[in-house]
Amino acid sequence: MATINIANSKGRDAVVGSQSVLKPVKVRWLDEKGRQVQSSRLMKSDLAHDVAALEAKAGGRERISKLLVEGDPEIDMETFGAMLKDTSRVFVDPEGKIVHKVKQFEVVKNPDGTERKRTPRKVSTPNTDTETPLKWSGKLMKKKDVYNKFVFAKKRQIVHVNGLTYDFLFNMAKELEESGNLLLMGSGPKSNEPLVLTRGGQKYRGFLEGRTQGDKYCLILHLSNLELKAAPVEVK
Amino acid sequence: MTPAVPFGFNLPTMAKPLVLSFKGADIPFALSKVERSDLYGFVEIETLDERGRKCTLATLADDGRSVIASGGTALATLSAEGSWVEKKTLVPTDNQGNRITPCASSYAAPCPLEKTVTIEEYLSHDVRAVYQLSSETDFGPLLAELKKGTIFNFPYSFRGGLEPDAGFVLLAADGTPFFAVGSPTKLEFVGFDQSAGIAEEDEGGGEEEDSMDFGMM
Repeated sequence: MATINIANSKGRDAVVGSQSVLKPVKVRWLDEKGRQVQSSRLMKSDLAHDVAALEAKAGGRERISKLLVEGDPEIDMETFGAMLKDTSRVFVDPEGKIVHKVKQFEVVKNPDGTERKRTPRKVSTPNTDTETPLKWSGKLMKKKDVYNKFVFAKKRQIVHVNGLTYDFLFNMAKELEESGNLLLMGSGPKSNEPLVLTRGGQKYRGFLEGRTQGDKYCLILHLSNLELKAAPVEVK
Repeated sequence: MTPAVPFGFNLPTMAKPLVLSFKGADIPFALSKVERSDLYGFVEIETLDERGRKCTLATLADDGRSVIASGGTALATLSAEGSWVEKKTLVPTDNQGNRITPCASSYAAPCPLEKTVTIEEYLSHDVRAVYQLSSETDFGPLLAELKKGTIFNFPYSFRGGLEPDAGFVLLAADGTPFFAVGSPTKLEFVGFDQSAGIAEEDEGGGEEEDSMDFGMM
């Protein structure tokens, strides 16, 4: 289970659990004998047999049909239909050859598709479980004012890992529940930088919500990277 | 009152309207998806080789020589013995082995807006997509209800299928009616005795305004 380093309103911090809340897939497919079937990924075609390869082989796109009539140049009987298991992701050049050394750039584009900025790519690093805890930002927002301002695409449930952190998190949830607020969570000294949960992963704003039920609690870190608002009009 | 900035007409709309039924009136809505790129622009990762030519991602098969481009693989369904099975011969069931009855597409018939949910219930879902709602039919009564903060909920399925998503109709803070599509989560209340490590990972104005800048991401 992932962990998160988080501080409360008194500045006390602890490393606690951060678990996925995705529901497992419920559907199972059974065959006629009531046995569960399985899915497998198969090879359908490769670059050595695609249109570009056939064009080069035939000496022109218009001659491909002749090749197809004469034989099966688009099929490799040995490999097509084979199960794919331990595959790797690779970069290929325009000729379809594997490239071993690449340079990557981040090209920022405006909503209309025009280029705004180009910089060498920086892979984002996770920042929710570092030595520096995520601070209690103190930026509290009423739940009823927030739910329709942002799109909450993901969430993590924050859970205790021992007796001490149970008290720590329960009190945090209680404090948030009683105030009816969500706490804005961010990284950095001012808590104003986005949260990154995985290497190279999406950047999110965090909103911490607390719920309690007797001596039980539910502390939820809502993650959002989109405001819920109308898209601006394209000016032509 | 005319809004200072009109919205939505530049977005691609879905062809078939989603008909919502509210207090006996069927209202056809056009849905326009709103994504990050519509609001903030977007970032493209450009990969170049040493000669400055654009590279694309592909899959290298386990034979170490077959390079497969996008679309070069297929998913097959295999029996317990590893034989090919036609999907249409299979029976969808739940975890207890009970047959699941497929649901119809939400575009096949009007979707009644009867059930409402609380903010907490709405927040307990992961929202996957949001669509601006617009209609040529007057939907004043529905808008008035949404302005009270009501969130309507109904099972939603685009094509029809086994597990419908959760559909929500709500009013955004800027006054735009939205349709949100989400999935329920397995949030649970935990007590002192419930240890962590329940689930395995499966993944994949001023200072205030500065901290809320979604465009910088």
